Amino acid sequence: MENYYNQPIPPVRDQRLQIADSFHGCGCNVSDCSKSGCMLRNNRSFWQTNACQMSLSLMMCATVENAVIIIHGPIGCGTQLHNLSSATTKGKADRGLTAKPVPWLSTNLQEAEVITGGEKKLKETIAYADRTYRPEIIFVVSTCAPNIIGDDVEQIVEQASREVAAQVTAIHCPGFKSRVVASAYDSFYHSLIRHIGFQAIPYKDFTPAFVPSLSNEIGEKSWNYKVAHTVNLFNATSIGPSDEAEMARLLNALDLNVQIYAEYSNADKFRLIPQAALNVSLCNMHDDYMLSYLEREYHMPYVIAGMPIGPVATRKWLLEVASRFDLQERANRFADEEEKLLADAVEPYLPKLKGKKVLLGGGSVRVAAESIFLKSLGMEIVGLRGYNYDSNADPVFDDLAKELPDVPVAISNQAYEFVNQVKTYQPDLIITHNGSQQIPAKLGVPSIQLFDVGGSYFGYNGAFQLVRKMIFALENDHFQKNLAKHAQFPYKESWYEKDPFTYHKEG
Amino acid sequence: MSGHIERPRTTCALGGAITTLSLLPGVIPVTHSAIGCGGNLYGAIATCAGNLGEGTIGGSHIPSSAIGERDVVFGGVDRLEEELRATKEIMDGKLVVVATGCMTEMIGDDVQGVVRELEEDDIDVIAISTASFKGDAYRGYEIALDGIFNRYLPATKEKKQKLLNIFGIVPGFDPFFRGDLEEIRRLLKKIGFEVNTFFTGDQTFENITSAPEASYNLLFSSVWGRELVETFEERHGTPYGIYDLPIGAVATEEFLRRIGTELAVDQELLEKVIQEENNHYYSYFLRAADIIANGQYFYYAEIIANSNYAIPLQKFVSEELGWHADDIFVTDILKEEKANALRKHFEESDVQGELLFESGTSEIGRLIAKRHPRNQGQRYFDSDTPLFLLGSGIDKYTASELGAQTLAVSYPVSNRLICSKGYAGFEGGLHLLEDIISVLVAGK
Repeated sequence: MENYYNQPIPPVRDQRLQIADSFHGCGCNVSDCSKSGCMLRNNRSFWQTNACQMSLSLMMCATVENAVIIIHGPIGCGTQLHNLSSATTKGKADRGLTAKPVPWLSTNLQEAEVITGGEKKLKETIAYADRTYRPEIIFVVSTCAPNIIGDDVEQIVEQASREVAAQVTAIHCPGFKSRVVASAYDSFYHSLIRHIGFQAIPYKDFTPAFVPSLSNEIGEKSWNYKVAHTVNLFNATSIGPSDEAEMARLLNALDLNVQIYAEYSNADKFRLIPQAALNVSLCNMHDDYMLSYLEREYHMPYVIAGMPIGPVATRKWLLEVASRFDLQERANRFADEEEKLLADAVEPYLPKLKGKKVLLGGGSVRVAAESIFLKSLGMEIVGLRGYNYDSNADPVFDDLAKELPDVPVAISNQAYEFVNQVKTYQPDLIITHNGSQQIPAKLGVPSIQLFDVGGSYFGYNGAFQLVRKMIFALENDHFQKNLAKHAQFPYKESWYEKDPFTYHKEG
Repeated sequence: MSGHIERPRTTCALGGAITTLSLLPGVIPVTHSAIGCGGNLYGAIATCAGNLGEGTIGGSHIPSSAIGERDVVFGGVDRLEEELRATKEIMDGKLVVVATGCMTEMIGDDVQGVVRELEEDDIDVIAISTASFKGDAYRGYEIALDGIFNRYLPATKEKKQKLLNIFGIVPGFDPFFRGDLEEIRRLLKKIGFEVNTFFTGDQTFENITSAPEASYNLLFSSVWGRELVETFEERHGTPYGIYDLPIGAVATEEFLRRIGTELAVDQELLEKVIQEENNHYYSYFLRAADIIANGQYFYYAEIIANSNYAIPLQKFVSEELGWHADDIFVTDILKEEKANALRKHFEESDVQGELLFESGTSEIGRLIAKRHPRNQGQRYFDSDTPLFLLGSGIDKYTASELGAQTLAVSYPVSNRLICSKGYAGFEGGLHLLEDIISVLVAGK
C-alpha cells in the first residue's frame, strides 16, 4: 500500500481502492468485474439519500472512553449523535465500561465563517472542550464545509495539542468526496495513527530495567512470552460484545490472549496495540488501512480472513490465526468438536428452514459470508444487496462465485431498488442492515438484522442464534402482513414494472 | 448565539425543511447536496422526534442529487436536472421541492434556473434555499412553508369564512405535533370551523392548495413562522393571530374564549363547548387528584424546552399542578430579535418564573446547580427539593446528577414512542398529567 500515513488527510476509498456502489450482476462475476475495473465506472441517474462517512466515523469515535467530539461544520452535521450516542452508551455498559454519553459540540459555522474561514472558532471550541469536560481525547470531525473553504484543520489540531491537556486529533469526513461510507474506517484509524499514537510510555505503561538482574530477566521473559501469545482483534460498529466474547473464546481455547480494538477503547489502551504478536480483522472491508500501518511501523503481521459467520467460515478464520502460532492441529480438533455440537443443536430446525427464500442486504462482505452459510442450511438465496464494494472484498466474492454463481448480486443501498427487488424476488425472509428493516416490514416480509450488536452472530454461538432468529421471524409474520395491507410507498406503480436497475448507467 | 453549541437540540435548515416537506401530503422533497445529508439528518429526525420514523417519503426514500467532488468543482446543476427528471418518472406526488445543502449554496448553483426549465412538465417543481449555515431546523420549517404557501400557491383573495390554517407547530422538533394539531382542530371544529393542519394523517394535497382561501391563520409560536404568516397576509390577505399552545383546561379555556371573541363565535355554542370539555376533563383530573394530594406530588420544576413549548409547560405545572417553577430554559437558538419577542411576550403574560436562554446541556445543568444550591450539610436549608426536570431525553443525565425526576417532552426525545399523543388542549392536558404522575408512581 502507498504510504498515506504521513499525509495530513487520508484518502477516501475511491482514491486508494477499486470501489463500486452501482452495480448489478451475479455471484459469478462480481469479483471478476472488480478486478477488471468495469464495476468502477458505474453510476446512477437517480439517487436517494443515504449516510456519508461522517456518520460511521461519529459512531466509531463515540465509543472511545473519556472523549469529546467536536463537529467542525454547520449546525446540522452530526446531529444524529443524539441517536448514535445512546447506542454507544449502551455498548459501553454492555462491555462493563462507564455508561456515560459522549459530550459533543458543533462549531456551528455561520455564513460569515463560511466566507472568512472557521479556524478561529475551531480553536476556541477545542479550548472550551478541554477546560469544560477535561477529556483524554478530543476528536475534531471535519465536515464538508471546512473542506470546501479550506480550513487547515490539521494545523489547528497540531497547535492545540501543544496547548491543551487532552490529546487532540482530527477525523476528516468530506462527505462530498465519496459516496462510500467505508472511508470512515480509514479516517478514524488515520486520526489514531496521526495524533494519538501507539507508543508505550515508560513508568506509566511499564517500568524500564536499568540494572540486569535475575528478576528483571524473568519479568522480561514473561512479558515477551505474553506478547508473543497475544492477538489484537479489531471490532467495528456492527460487532457486538457477544461477538467479541465468542471470538475471544475461540482464541482463548488455543491459549492465546486477546486484546480488542479500536472501538470501546481509550487513550491508555491504544498505547498497548503494538504489545501483541498478531493483528486480526473480522471483516475484509474494515481494517486493511490500520493493519497495513501496524505492519509497516511495528512489523506486526496481520490476518484478514473473511467474516466468521457459520462453521465453515469460522474454521477458516480460526485456522488462519492458528497457523501463525503453529496451532493448526489444535484448532482443527477444537473446530471438529464445536461443529459437532452446533450441528446437533441446529439439526431440529433445518426442516423449517429448508427451501425458504432469502434476500440479504447490507455490508458486502457480510451478505456474501452469510448467504454461503444460509445455503449450507438448505435455504434458497434469491438475491444479495451489498451496500458498497471495494477490492478488499474480492476474496469473499471469489468464494461466492463458487458457492452461488447464479444468485443475483446488486451493489446498492438505494431504497427504490430495494422495494422493487422485494416485489420481484418475493422472498420469505429478508436479512438486512439496521435502519432499513421498516421497508420489508411494510412490504409484508419478515426480516431480521444483518448484524446484531445486542445479540450474537459470529462463531458457533452466533450461528445457532442466527438460526433461532430466523425461525422466530418465519413463525409469526402477522406484524408484517398487517402493515403491508396499509403501507404506502412513494413510487409510481409503473416503477415496479421496470427492472430494479433501470437507473444504473456508466460514468 | 452564533458560537459553538453543545449537543444542539435542532438540525440545520435542510433538516427542518425535509422533515416538514416529507410530512406534507403529495410533496416530494429532493436534497441538492451530498448523499449523506438526508440520511444523516434523518438519523436525528426519525428517532429523536419521539421515534417518528421515515414515513412514506422521508429518510431513505428522499431523492438526492448526491453531488460529488466533480460537481463541487464544476457545479451541480446538470446532476440536479438529471435527478429531477428521474424523480418525476419514479416518484408519485403532486409537487417536488428541491432543498439545497450547504455545499451547493457555497458553490452557487443556479437551482432556480434548473427548476424553471422543468416548469412545463406535469408535476410542479420548486426550489428553496436551505443552507445550513444560514439557519437551523426551525428556520427550515419556515423556509419550506414560505416556498409553498407564499411563492408556489397563486395569490387568492377569495375566502372561506369558516376555514382556518394552523402554523407554528414545527413537525418533529415539536415532537407532539400530530397530537397537538389533532386536538386544536378537534376543538376548533366543535365551535364551527374547518381546519387545515397540513401534517396530520387525514390531510391531503387539497388542504395545502386550499390554504390561501382560509379566513384566518393561527400561529402557535411567538418566534417561529411570524414572517411566514406576515407574508401570507400580504400575498393572500389572510389575517393572523399569535397564540401560546394551550396545555390543560385552564389555558385551553382561555384560548377558546379569545378565539371566540376574535373570530366572533356564537357565544352560546362556545359556552356549551367549554362546559362540556371541562366536565370531561375534570371527571378524570378529580380522580387523579387523590394520588397527587395523598402522594404530595408537589414539586419544584425546571422547564427545559423550545420556545414553543417552554411557556405553555410552565403554565400547566404552575397553574394546574401547583408546582413551583423558577427557571424556564428556552433551548432553541434564537437571534436577539426573536429572543426579545419571546421575552416581551412572556412579560406580558401572567406566567411565573424567569426566562433563560441556554441550549447547552452541561451549561443548563451547571446553571441549575448554581441558581439552586444544594444543602451542603447546613442544619436548616431551603433547597429546591423535590425537583422535577421537564426537558429533553438528553437531560436525564442532568436529572440524575441533581437527584431529580424527569420526563422527556422536548426535542430530542428518543427514549419515548410518540404516536397520536399530544399535550395541547383538554385531551393533551390529561396526557401530560398522566405522563408526569406516571413518572412519580413508577417506583411503586
